[in-house]
Amino acid sequence: MVDRPPRLEGKVAIVTGAGSSGEGVGNGKAASILFAREGAKVLLVDFQEDRARETLQIIQEEGGVASTLQGDMTKIEDCELMAQTAIERYGRVHILDNNVGISQRGTVVEVSEEDWDRVMTVNMKTIMLASKATIPHMISSGGGGSIINISSIAGLRAHSSTPYSASKAGVIGLTFSMAADHAADNIRANVIAPGLVYTPMVAPRMNDDLRQFRSEAAPLKSEGTGWDVGYAALFLASDEARWITGICLPVDAGLTAVHPGTYTPMNQQTRF
Amino acid sequence: MRLENKVAIISGGSRGMGAFEAALFVQEGAKVIIGDVRDEEGRDLAKHIGSNAVYMHLDVTSERDWAAVVKEATDRYGKLDILVNNAGVSARGTIEETSVDDWDRVMGINAKGVFLGTKAALPEMRRTGGGSIINISSQLGIVGSSFASGAAYQASKGAVRLFTKATAMQYASDGIRANSVHPGPVDTDMMASGQSTAYLPSIPIGRYGEPDEVAYGVLFLASDEASFMTGSELVIDGGWTAQ
Repeated sequence: MVDRPPRLEGKVAIVTGAGSSGEGVGNGKAASILFAREGAKVLLVDFQEDRARETLQIIQEEGGVASTLQGDMTKIEDCELMAQTAIERYGRVHILDNNVGISQRGTVVEVSEEDWDRVMTVNMKTIMLASKATIPHMISSGGGGSIINISSIAGLRAHSSTPYSASKAGVIGLTFSMAADHAADNIRANVIAPGLVYTPMVAPRMNDDLRQFRSEAAPLKSEGTGWDVGYAALFLASDEARWITGICLPVDAGLTAVHPGTYTPMNQQTRF
Repeated sequence: MRLENKVAIISGGSRGMGAFEAALFVQEGAKVIIGDVRDEEGRDLAKHIGSNAVYMHLDVTSERDWAAVVKEATDRYGKLDILVNNAGVSARGTIEETSVDDWDRVMGINAKGVFLGTKAALPEMRRTGGGSIINISSQLGIVGSSFASGAAYQASKGAVRLFTKATAMQYASDGIRANSVHPGPVDTDMMASGQSTAYLPSIPIGRYGEPDEVAYGVLFLASDEASFMTGSELVIDGGWTAQ
């Protein structure tokens, strides 16, 4: 056994949505902390900078290197400032982890056009803009890079959140295409599809019964957290995944592997 | 360390991806039993890795061999946490070119071998409250290819893909996770035996994979970092199937 170097030693990462929208640890916050713990310098970007500062405080208490930046990822100027800031502060940029996202429930009949446009903009266009601004810097400063986009199993299956599902399915298609477009520049692009994870984003519409139901919905019957998504992002960000591009990685306790409606644990089956 | 105090069995571990997995697992704190039919290479590898790796003869089509390897894990280390069903053979040829013997051999090693290994490991994993099974399929277990490896190979790797999901569903309540890994063409001896550069234009990243690139994916799935993952497919193919 030998001590290994940190998994992101020498890397510079940008994490969008690096703060959490409430108490607890969301996907972006978890990824930020794990990236820093594994040696990356991390630019923590959030629309609400005070949220990113909470993440920064945790990283600094652990002895990591990070800094915050206020940014609205729906604006190209802010995305460009974000990429330039990473270069100015840390000299290079290798990793872009796109976490910005919001929920939007409802059918096409129910959803307003404004809400539709908003969820498509926040969940999908932000990834396009952040990537558009960052990729040239990845090529010129880092010789390539790794982009991690956060979709959802709602992008793979109906989920009673039609506008959200549409935006998250779009993220998957966007990621596959970015992977093909920029492979020659040594830029990898992959997407994570979290399952029913309990994060600050979903917390406001949860109660104990619903959390219990969600925890037991998938075969592993355990509640997922932002950390589960963060560890997957860490793997995809690192050079360990240097031959992986254009994949969709479910982190869902087995939910999408089940034929819908048929899962009953073997030890509870009476008939099938 | 990411696999501290874990006990693992890796089939087909004497060379190629399996050998990298064995070395990486030990580096991350695991005790590893390397199973293979290439005894000399396996013993040399175990010696090279050090005292936390042992080699055992393992013909994955033999139920008796599997029982012996699992028994060794429990006798020696007291438990079994991780099984990597890595052993596999390639086969080329169209359906019409494939003999029944070829078909049986490929399905025997690539598909039945995974079944037997899983069957042997499950009771021991259940006894200690869970485990992680990683089955090596292929990108050709997901998509078809006319010029790549043959029909029998593809069928066997497709079998591994869905067998993994069945394992995940049937044993999730025992805390046992099962995920499949789908490498694209990787630069191993198995690949080198007659493959050409025919695949290269199909790979967006523009090169073959290296064995350690697959090993790191296996490590992730083996570790508790992937504790919310089961029934998933991890594709490591330089972008092939994203196209």
